[in-house]
Amino acid sequence: MAVEQALTWLQNLNFPTQIRESDWLFPTIETVHVFALVLVVGSIMTVDLRLLGLTNRDRPFSQLAAEMLPWTWVAFAVAASAGLLMFSSKALIYYGNIPFRLKMCCLLLAGINMALFHWIGMRDLETWDRKQPPRLARFAGGTSLLLWTAIVAAGRWVGFTT
Amino acid sequence: MIEQFCDWLSRTGVSVAFQSANWFVPLVQTVHIIAIAILLTTVYVVSFRLVGITRGAQPLATLSARSAPWIWTALCVLLASGILLTITEPARELLNWVFRVKMLMVSALAAILWMVQSRMRRNPQYWTESPVRRRAARAIGIAAIVVGAGIVTAGRWIAYV
Repeated sequence: MAVEQALTWLQNLNFPTQIRESDWLFPTIETVHVFALVLVVGSIMTVDLRLLGLTNRDRPFSQLAAEMLPWTWVAFAVAASAGLLMFSSKALIYYGNIPFRLKMCCLLLAGINMALFHWIGMRDLETWDRKQPPRLARFAGGTSLLLWTAIVAAGRWVGFTT
Repeated sequence: MIEQFCDWLSRTGVSVAFQSANWFVPLVQTVHIIAIAILLTTVYVVSFRLVGITRGAQPLATLSARSAPWIWTALCVLLASGILLTITEPARELLNWVFRVKMLMVSALAAILWMVQSRMRRNPQYWTESPVRRRAARAIGIAAIVVGAGIVTAGRWIAYV
């Protein structure tokens, strides 16, 4: 109940109301969201494929990650901000939407996967930085690849069900 | 003429079959988005180097040569998934001026990428060997960044125009 009240308050704020009532605001914010998310997904998948040992095998993992991850973080900040604005315009509808909930769960899992890889999987990075990554790192890369594919699919599915 | 073609195409067995499966369009769009993710990221990484915004450990020519197969494969997947979406809803795409602008921008981007890559295949230093070439590389990189963003923007607005 408290959640519904909070979401009602959110979507009745000035800007969320404007987004809902305008013809062009939502598509514009959505365009920014899509533009940023393709860069998030593309940069993460580049790193994932290297973790799986499928691409860039002769490049040190640390070098590739250092070049790609700034793209990921900047684009993620933009995609998340635009996503929050889209959410705020129809908060109650999104909250009750199953694909939206699935997408948020997958995002959470992708975050946990990344944190675990960072804390545990990268401990012995020096031993495999220039080689095929060990099983744990490959697992993290494969999991990330699957989760981000699911995030894109669920996101598209949200668009067809709200 | 195009109207009649759209009408005919939307009544063909393939189109009707695609239309009747409600999971088909979201699924193909998901493939389309993942392919554009790979294409746009790769194009941006190369273009930012061309413009001089970022620096990388590997030479520009090496980066370009490595990214070329990804760029052209992604473009083929985009074309194939785009054709499937057009077969499903011909009028939504072919009669829409935003779709036509998008196709022009896709052709422009492909031409830019082909030029950037082919020059460097023959001469790895091509875009960096003189101040004039460096300025050209900067302009071409900016063009690729703008056109890439334009393609994504047009892609989303097809649904709204």
